[in-house]
Amino acid sequence: MTKQRTQAVSRRTFLAGSTVLAGAIGAPGLVGAQPAAVKVGMIHPVTGFVAYNGQQSRLGGTMAIEDVNKAGGIKSMGGAKLEALLGDSQSKVEVGVSEVEKMNEQGVAAYIGCFQSPVGIAASQAAAKYGTPFLVDVGASDLLMSRGLKNVFRLKPGFGVCVDDGIASLGALNKAANNVAKTAVIVHESGEFGTGTAKLLATKLPSIGIAAKELIAHDNPTRNFDNIALRIRSLAPDIVMMSNYGNEYMLLARTLYQQKVNVAGFFSILGGGFNYKFVKEMPDVSQYMMDVNHWYNPKSPQAQALKKRVEATGALFTFEVYLTYTNVMLLADALEHAGSADKEKLIAALAASTFKAELMPYGPTKFVNGQNQGGRPATMQSLKGDIEVIAPEEFASAKAVFPKPKL
Amino acid sequence: MSRVALLCVVGLAAALAWPLLVPNYLVTVGMLVFFTAFIGQSWNIAGGFAGQTSFGHVVFFGTGAYTSTILQVTWGWNPWIAWIAAMAAGGAVGWMIAVLSFRAGLRGSYFALITLAFAEVFRILANSVPFTKGGLGMLIKADPSPANFQFKDPIWIYYLALLLCIVSLLIAWQLTRSRFGARLVAIRENEDAARALGIDVFAEKVKVLTLSGAMCAAGGTFYAQKYLYIDPGIAFGVDKSVEMLLVSMVGGAGTIFGPLIGSFTLMGINEVTRWLASVVPALKNVQPLSLIVYGIMLILIVARLPDGLMSLFRRRPRHA
Repeated sequence: MTKQRTQAVSRRTFLAGSTVLAGAIGAPGLVGAQPAAVKVGMIHPVTGFVAYNGQQSRLGGTMAIEDVNKAGGIKSMGGAKLEALLGDSQSKVEVGVSEVEKMNEQGVAAYIGCFQSPVGIAASQAAAKYGTPFLVDVGASDLLMSRGLKNVFRLKPGFGVCVDDGIASLGALNKAANNVAKTAVIVHESGEFGTGTAKLLATKLPSIGIAAKELIAHDNPTRNFDNIALRIRSLAPDIVMMSNYGNEYMLLARTLYQQKVNVAGFFSILGGGFNYKFVKEMPDVSQYMMDVNHWYNPKSPQAQALKKRVEATGALFTFEVYLTYTNVMLLADALEHAGSADKEKLIAALAASTFKAELMPYGPTKFVNGQNQGGRPATMQSLKGDIEVIAPEEFASAKAVFPKPKL
Repeated sequence: MSRVALLCVVGLAAALAWPLLVPNYLVTVGMLVFFTAFIGQSWNIAGGFAGQTSFGHVVFFGTGAYTSTILQVTWGWNPWIAWIAAMAAGGAVGWMIAVLSFRAGLRGSYFALITLAFAEVFRILANSVPFTKGGLGMLIKADPSPANFQFKDPIWIYYLALLLCIVSLLIAWQLTRSRFGARLVAIRENEDAARALGIDVFAEKVKVLTLSGAMCAAGGTFYAQKYLYIDPGIAFGVDKSVEMLLVSMVGGAGTIFGPLIGSFTLMGINEVTRWLASVVPALKNVQPLSLIVYGIMLILIVARLPDGLMSLFRRRPRHA
C-alpha cells in the first residue's frame, strides 16, 4: 500500500505566495517607472606614466556624478541618475580607442577624457564614428579642436590661449619690474603639448621684449636634469620657462634649485607639477615660481567647499580634479537642457550651452567649433608654501613677487 | 588532411566568422590580436628564425608610419600607394641597419643594443626635423572611405589585419620549407659553422632584416591609418619593440604560429583582467589589477615554458 501525500495549501502559504506573485508581477512596472541611468564614459590613464593625473581626474569625475545623483539626477529626464563607466587608457592610444568601443557597446551617452592629447585625439575620433559627444577635460593640444569634429567639446582653454594669457601676464609683470627680463630659456617635454606650447612661446616672447635663447626638449619620462640645468646655467637667461608633465616639472625645479641657477623668475605655461603637492613638499624649491595653468576660482565658495571635501579624502585638489568635475557638471547641464540622452540632442545642447562654470575663473560659456571661448587660465605664484592667484586681477588672492630675490 | 591543416581551416573559419557574431568592441580586440601577431611575426622572422634578436624593431614600424603619413598628408599621395612606399622605406632601413651592423661584425646582444640605439636615433630625428612636424605629431584627416584606407565599419579593418596576419604566416611557413629558411636556421644555430658550410652569412642576414623591416613598416602604416595620428613617441616608442618581442617569445620564437598564439594569449589575458576589474565591484578601484595579473601570467609562462606556448604542442619523444 502506498501512502499518498496531500498537497494542502494553508492560508499562510497562500498569503505568502500571493504576495510574492503580486510583487513579481508588479515589480517590473515599478522598475519601469524609474528612468534609465545615463551612462557617462570616463577614460583616463589610471595606469602608466601619468597614472597619478588620471586617478585625480577619475576622482573629480566620480565626485561630480555623486553630487548630481544626490541632487536628484537629471530632472528634465524624470530624475535619471548618472552612471560612471570607468575606463583606463593605460596611457596608450590603442587602449583608449578600445575603451571607446567597449563603452559604446554598453550604451554610453557621452565620453569625458583622456588627459593625454594623443589619446584624446584618437579616442574622440573613434567616438565621432558613433556621433557620441566627447568632452575633453584636460587635454591641452589645439589639434584636438582643429579637426572640425562636431562631437568634440572643450570647456577649458587650449595651449594657444594659455600662451597668449601667459605672455600678457609675464609682459605686465616685467613692465612693472622695469623690464628686468630680456632673455629666456624654454624647457619642454618633447611630446605634442610641450612642443606646441614651446614653439608658440618662442614666437610670441619678442612681443614683450624677451628673446628666447634656446628651446630645450626632454623625453618622458626623464629622471635626471643635471645636464639641462648645467646648460641653462651656461646660457644665463633672465627667465626659465617650463612646459612639461608633473614628475619632470618637479624634478627639473629641484635640480635648478640644487644647482643654484639664479634667474629673475621661473615662469611655466601648463607646468604639470605646479600643484599643492609640489609647494607643500618642496616649499624652498617652489618659492616664487610662477605658472599659467588651469586653476579654480579662489573666491568661489563652491570651489572652496569642494577643495575641503577632496582634501578630507587625503587627496590633493589638483587641476585634474576640478576640470573633470566641471566637465561632468557641464554634461549634466546639457542633459538637463536636452531632456534626453539622445546623442544628436545632446550635441545640440552642448553647442548651445551657457553653462556657468562655478568653480573656474571663466567668462560666460560659448562654444565655437567645440571650443569654449570663455575658458581662460590663471597665473599663480608659490608663496610661503601656498599657491596664490596673481592674475587675472579680479580673481587674484596675492600680489606677485617679481623679480625673485637671489638665492 | 593533416591535423595542423584541419586546425588551420577551423581557425580561419572562426576568424572569418568572429566579426559577424560579436559586438564592435570585440571586433577591435580581434583586430589588435591579428595586428600584434603580424608585427610580432616581422620580429620573429629576423629574431626567431634567423636568431638576430633585435630590441629596436620599432624603428621599422615608425619608418613605415611616418613614410606613408608624410606622403599622404604633405604630398597628397593615395594611402594605398603610400603603403607600398612605406614598405620599401622599411626594407631600405632594414638593409641599411643590417649592412652597417653586420659589416662591423656585431652579433648577439651587441646587435640587439645597436637596433635599440637606431630606434632612439630615429625617434630623436622625428622629434627634431620639420617635415615630421616634430613633437606636434601628424594628424591624418578623417575621411572614411576604402579608397582612403579608412573604414567606417570596424569589420573591414579587422579583415585587413587578418589578411596581414595570414600573409605573415605564409611567409613564415615558406621560410620553413625554403633553402633560404634553412640557411637562416643554420646561421641561428651556429654562425661560424654556417659560414664553414659555404653560406654567405652576411648576405643572408641582410636579406632577412630587409624582409623583416618591410613587413614591420607595413604594420606602421596600418597603425597610422587606423588611429589617424602619430607622434615620435607613438611611432618609435620602445614599448612597441617590447610588444613584438614579447608575443614571439611567449608564443614560441622561431615557430610559424608562435607570434599569433602569443598575441592571442597576451591580449586575452589583458582583456579578461580589464573586464574583471570593471565588473567585479571589489576590484573596481584596484586600478593596476590587469597589469599585475598580466605580469604574473607572463612570469609563469616564461618560467614554465621557456620555449613558448608552442612547446606544448610539440610531440614528446617516446621512452623505451
